[in-house]
Amino acid sequence: MRLSDRTTGGFLVILGSVTAYAGSLLPPVPGQDVGPNIFPLVCGSLVAVCGLLIALGIGSRLEEEAEADFSAHGGVMESELRQSPLYKLRVLIPPALLIFYVVVVDTLGFVPTAAIIAFVISVVLGARLKLAIPVAVLSPIAVHLVFFNLLRVPLPDGLLPMPW
Amino acid sequence: MAVYLEAFRMVLAPDVVIAIFLSSVYGLVVGSLPGLSATMATALLVPVTFYLSPIAAIATIISASAMAIFSGDIPGALLRIPGTPASAAYTDEAYAMTRKGQAELALGAGVWFSALGGIAGTISLILLAPPLAEIALSFSTFEYFWLALLGLMCATLVARSSPVKAIASMLLGLVITCIGMENPGGIPRFTFGLTDLLGGIEVIPALVGVFAVSEVMRAMVSPEPPPLPDRKYGSIMAGQWRLTKQYWLPMTRGNIIGIIIGVLPGAGADMAAWVSYAMSKRFSKEPEKFGTGHVEGLVEAGASNNASLASGWVPALLFGVPGDTITAIAIGVLYMKGLNPGPTLFTEKASSMYALYIIFIIANIIMIPLGIVMIRIAARVLRAPRSAIMPVIVLCCAVGTFATGNSLFAVVTVAAFGVIGYVMEANGYPVAAMVLGIVMGTMVEQSFVTSLIKSDGSILPFFERPVSSVLAALTIGALAWPVMYWAWRFFQRAPARA
Repeated sequence: MRLSDRTTGGFLVILGSVTAYAGSLLPPVPGQDVGPNIFPLVCGSLVAVCGLLIALGIGSRLEEEAEADFSAHGGVMESELRQSPLYKLRVLIPPALLIFYVVVVDTLGFVPTAAIIAFVISVVLGARLKLAIPVAVLSPIAVHLVFFNLLRVPLPDGLLPMPW
Repeated sequence: MAVYLEAFRMVLAPDVVIAIFLSSVYGLVVGSLPGLSATMATALLVPVTFYLSPIAAIATIISASAMAIFSGDIPGALLRIPGTPASAAYTDEAYAMTRKGQAELALGAGVWFSALGGIAGTISLILLAPPLAEIALSFSTFEYFWLALLGLMCATLVARSSPVKAIASMLLGLVITCIGMENPGGIPRFTFGLTDLLGGIEVIPALVGVFAVSEVMRAMVSPEPPPLPDRKYGSIMAGQWRLTKQYWLPMTRGNIIGIIIGVLPGAGADMAAWVSYAMSKRFSKEPEKFGTGHVEGLVEAGASNNASLASGWVPALLFGVPGDTITAIAIGVLYMKGLNPGPTLFTEKASSMYALYIIFIIANIIMIPLGIVMIRIAARVLRAPRSAIMPVIVLCCAVGTFATGNSLFAVVTVAAFGVIGYVMEANGYPVAAMVLGIVMGTMVEQSFVTSLIKSDGSILPFFERPVSSVLAALTIGALAWPVMYWAWRFFQRAPARA
């Protein structure tokens, strides 16, 4: 997910300008000049300015120095460079599973949903079935025990209510 | 005297003692696992603190974070992979010592000087807080505005990336806090008609997303760290007293630097370790030995990062301005538990404050025995494969943030911030700066708008009061510093090119 500074800077310019404009449309506190409008206006404009500076490459030299320093101390980024674009899409698995949780947890119940999530992550990280299945079975039950029983978080029962 | 007795009674309550012990073990384990930082350990604890008494809640955060910062040294020394960013500064040095066969000395120095540093930091907290509270009593919204801004600027100054990107990240955090109804007008702002956004973006889901989910995302594409070879250790504490006597000066310097960096709003343990390691090398009598497995830098940086952890609570307790990302989380817990940060905390809830000091001291003392045990069993703990740990982390992210408000929208927020954090980190935008922006945005806006209303829209009163003018000068200095540095470098290189 390494994007050029021009892309990220450009995105910040757009985001900042939209925030500033949308902020300026908000009404002030009755009888005052300022209100909820001023803060988004100021912050949005500053974000846009920063985005412009980044897109123009100002300050990037300092960053190169910092990064060289960082990778000299065992940085983690280098391994990412050698991977195919399709392989890199794997990073989206955890957030996708969280969204999956939100969508299905009320129907399936906590334990089955969590078991699916745990199984997928375990397998994607290279676990054999010998490890992935115990992880998928035990970790949801353990989490359920702690959060539902001890901390009283109302987790949905769904298809598989726990005996406690 | 009665206050002290009351404080001791609070700390010795069974639930607090159990909380300290369990969270210490938790902190040691999480901190020692590469990729799982002390901040993440603390963020995942927050849902648990909901269900604890106020003192037990604070005790879990204090002991878990202190232990995690130390135990990050363990994989650093044994595998050359820092367990937490705060250990990154001296990982090479510690690993070089292990290769020379001095693993015991390196790890022992880690635990011993971490504990001493933590106690030094606690003493600074005890000494600094009351006089600062007196000053803080006279603060008006102008001073709070500048203080919050100064904290945010410090966070960007110390980020290890381009200052422009750091400032952009921080401002992005401020923009995120614009979402919701909690603004001076009380009107829905940037909610896009979604009821879930009316309450704004909660800090905890954002933190968990940025620090935990994005870490799991990184694990998806990075190779598994190598397993730790099982090894026999000699005595771990042997030779530490001799080191203390030999290197008392670097140790004290590390403590002081750590305390100063901790008190600075926004700069935390990782920065303290980097600065102290560099200082140690510069002032050492034998700088040529650095990098070859020399213990001196370890002593100074290890003393520094744990000292900063305690002193980071000074601005957090007095002003509600976090000293680092861990205290940013702690502030949320303080509010939740009715211990609202502010100078009056020291008069109204004095016994709670003393209890907090005592917990800090206890945590740093039990760090020594627990740390030794952890070092001895580290090989077995670190052998737990990532494919067994990461699923549990993801489940805790989902359930933990759900528990903060019993709303599934929080889980969506976690996922979104996981992606945001991952993309930002991959492109050199420091996420810690954004997190501090999110934590402090409401305070910045409130003090800014209230001040503007008081001054009838004029900017001048922001600079008129003596304290606020000093704070303003510091803030503007912090902003101007990278610009001047850049200009200086630019002009220095220009003649060379011509």
